[in-house]
Amino acid sequence: MKKFLFLTTLFFSIALLSACKKDEEKATFGTFYLQFDNIVGDQDLTIADAASSDFKYTNSLDQNFNVSLLGYYITNIKLEGPNGEVFVDPVTTGAAAADVKGIYQVLESSTTSQTIGLSNVPSGKYDKVTFTLGIPADIVQEGATGGVLDPAEGAWLWNWDAGYIGFAFEGRSPASPVAASQWNPENSVQIHIGGWKDITDNPMMVNNVKTFTLDFGTSVSVSDKLEPKAHIEMDLLEVIDGHHGSADFTSTNQVHTPAGGTEFAENLHSAFVVDHVHQ
Amino acid sequence: MMNSRHAALEFIILCFNFFTMKNLLPFLLLALVFGGCQKDELPSAKYSFVKPAHFPEPVYPLDRNPVTKEGFELGKKIFGDPILSRDGSVACNNCHVKGVAFADPQHPFSIGVDEREGLRNAPGIANMAFMKEFMWDGGVHHLDFAPPNAIENPLEMDEKMTHVLWKMNQHGSYPALFRKAFPDMGDTITSPYLLFALSQYQNMLVSATSKYDHYKLGDANLTANELEGLALFEQKCAACHSGILFTNQEYRNNGLDSEFADLGRGKITESPDDMGCFKVPSLRNVELTKPYMHNARFKTLEEVLDHYASGVKPSATLADELQQNGTLGIPLTPTEKARIIDFLKTLTDHEFIQDTRF
Ligand code: HEC
Ligand code: HEC
Repeated sequence: MKKFLFLTTLFFSIALLSACKKDEEKATFGTFYLQFDNIVGDQDLTIADAASSDFKYTNSLDQNFNVSLLGYYITNIKLEGPNGEVFVDPVTTGAAAADVKGIYQVLESSTTSQTIGLSNVPSGKYDKVTFTLGIPADIVQEGATGGVLDPAEGAWLWNWDAGYIGFAFEGRSPASPVAASQWNPENSVQIHIGGWKDITDNPMMVNNVKTFTLDFGTSVSVSDKLEPKAHIEMDLLEVIDGHHGSADFTSTNQVHTPAGGTEFAENLHSAFVVDHVHQ
Repeated sequence: MMNSRHAALEFIILCFNFFTMKNLLPFLLLALVFGGCQKDELPSAKYSFVKPAHFPEPVYPLDRNPVTKEGFELGKKIFGDPILSRDGSVACNNCHVKGVAFADPQHPFSIGVDEREGLRNAPGIANMAFMKEFMWDGGVHHLDFAPPNAIENPLEMDEKMTHVLWKMNQHGSYPALFRKAFPDMGDTITSPYLLFALSQYQNMLVSATSKYDHYKLGDANLTANELEGLALFEQKCAACHSGILFTNQEYRNNGLDSEFADLGRGKITESPDDMGCFKVPSLRNVELTKPYMHNARFKTLEEVLDHYASGVKPSATLADELQQNGTLGIPLTPTEKARIIDFLKTLTDHEFIQDTRF
């Protein structure tokens, strides 16, 4: 009996070991990094104190402004390659922070948040990335979620029209007539792009969650030894001063509704550009 | 998941008893035979979500956050704890009081910290598990997201979620209670678990044992007046206050005003068609939840019926049902109004407001 047990164990161990070996030979995996770099036109974007009167940036109306908060949510990341390579970054949610995966909050104030490491990417060539900007319906409808979606940990949860702000910019501009209040500093500018609801027969119910694809212009290789990185630039001027709409801070300085944010949401695609990739 | 786990545990304990306490076997057997129908008294059954037979399927994703005794008890404790407010003065149950089906018995507009007056009347919290959207304007699409609204609203609890969690993590008893209710949570209380506990408590607040329910289930009779009222109600009111929940969960303008101080649903959808529209409220326990309407316009059901009969005001978004054949309102004689009120009172659920679990 004992002998039999020993033999079967041996047999299965060998089978198992050889199976692993085969798998390893078949497919290897590597890490791909996406690095987000925020800019304002041709200047680097840096965060100013909320009360700062140092106005480094200028829009097309010659209105000066600064930035005290800037960030956005990225999710549903997909890499694709010229030979049919596809990698989909798995998205999972739950109450525990550890269960929340594939959803990223990129913040100008946090350097670590600006680099997203995608692990388990199958070896191969990749030449484009697709992602969703904002938190889409399927995730919002899950209910209370942890990690980057936990409102007590800095998640941008809109309370009154529940959902998450997908893209947030706050700062000050002397052109903004806003008076100081419990909500805002003087000359406040706040543009929050949110809204995820699609309601049939209601064109006003805005879904500002956008998904777009960015081409690398070349292809890079992933393997267990190669960890390429794509540098993605996000130009704030393209968002608040772009093709589909531009904010005149004298009148457009507090955007806190889905409809108010539509034109800026339309600008988002062209704000994100792959500056370069390295191998 | 949790419930079946509990049931399994009880079964094991039962088996254990069988084998250890042999001398008690006959009694145990007797108890099993006669106690069969008392299953409801077992803690796990008492504290798990049970859909009433005559109700629709719940909307809340209970598989994601199943009700457990520990989670429910924790939610109940939090619901009654002013720790959620900035200055420790206001709890959820300041504005949602059990004795009046979790509505606000005193204030037309709810009163928050520093006696700040809110903008709307607090609705009763019952049968939340069956609702698709929340608040008078439906701005909240998930029960989990209702509490941050109250907690962070400067006119209500005027507190920050981050600070609430900080206070709870410092607290003498909350950390242990959370760990018991949510074994997967880890050491620190985070907001999803706070929201889960509150949802567990609120999901259990099912009102399905009014006289009307007993009538529907065939174990009570309505009086002739109540039956007359029911027929009138079905004819004149059930287009909006429909089904067993007494709401079609739509947003309508029932003619309170011609100009809207509160845009209601229009604030959320920004659609001209929705200006001045509000969620059709459930009428369960309506006898208890006065004053009525989002803006607490009416103090009594008589005033409400008078409104529908002769107070409806015209506007671009007024509901079609309230302007049939070119006349405003719903034609109602004084007797008809009285009968409808007789019927509405059969929706009062005394078992619900006296339930010792809540
Ligand atoms: C200061 C009074 C006040 C406090 C405190 C308060 N609420 Fe409310 N509650 C209201 C009012 C007013 C509304 C309606 C708000 C609206 O429609 O905009 C409401 C609505 C709700 C609703 C939606 C009900 C429905 O039928 O749509 C839920 C759920 C709720 N509250 C739960 C809570 C919980 C949980 C707490 C504690 C964290 C709480 N409330 C604290 C006043 C209060
Ligand atoms: C066109 C749809 C519609 C019809 C028909 C209708 N109602 Fe309503 N009812 C509403 C809406 C919407 C509200 C909430 C309005 C608000 O607060 O602005 C409401 C509110 C109420 C309230 C107040 C409930 C509360 O908790 O504040 C009562 C009571 C009521 N209706 C009873 C009736 C009765 C009785 C009838 C029939 C005579 C009726 N309704 C017909 C849509 C309707």
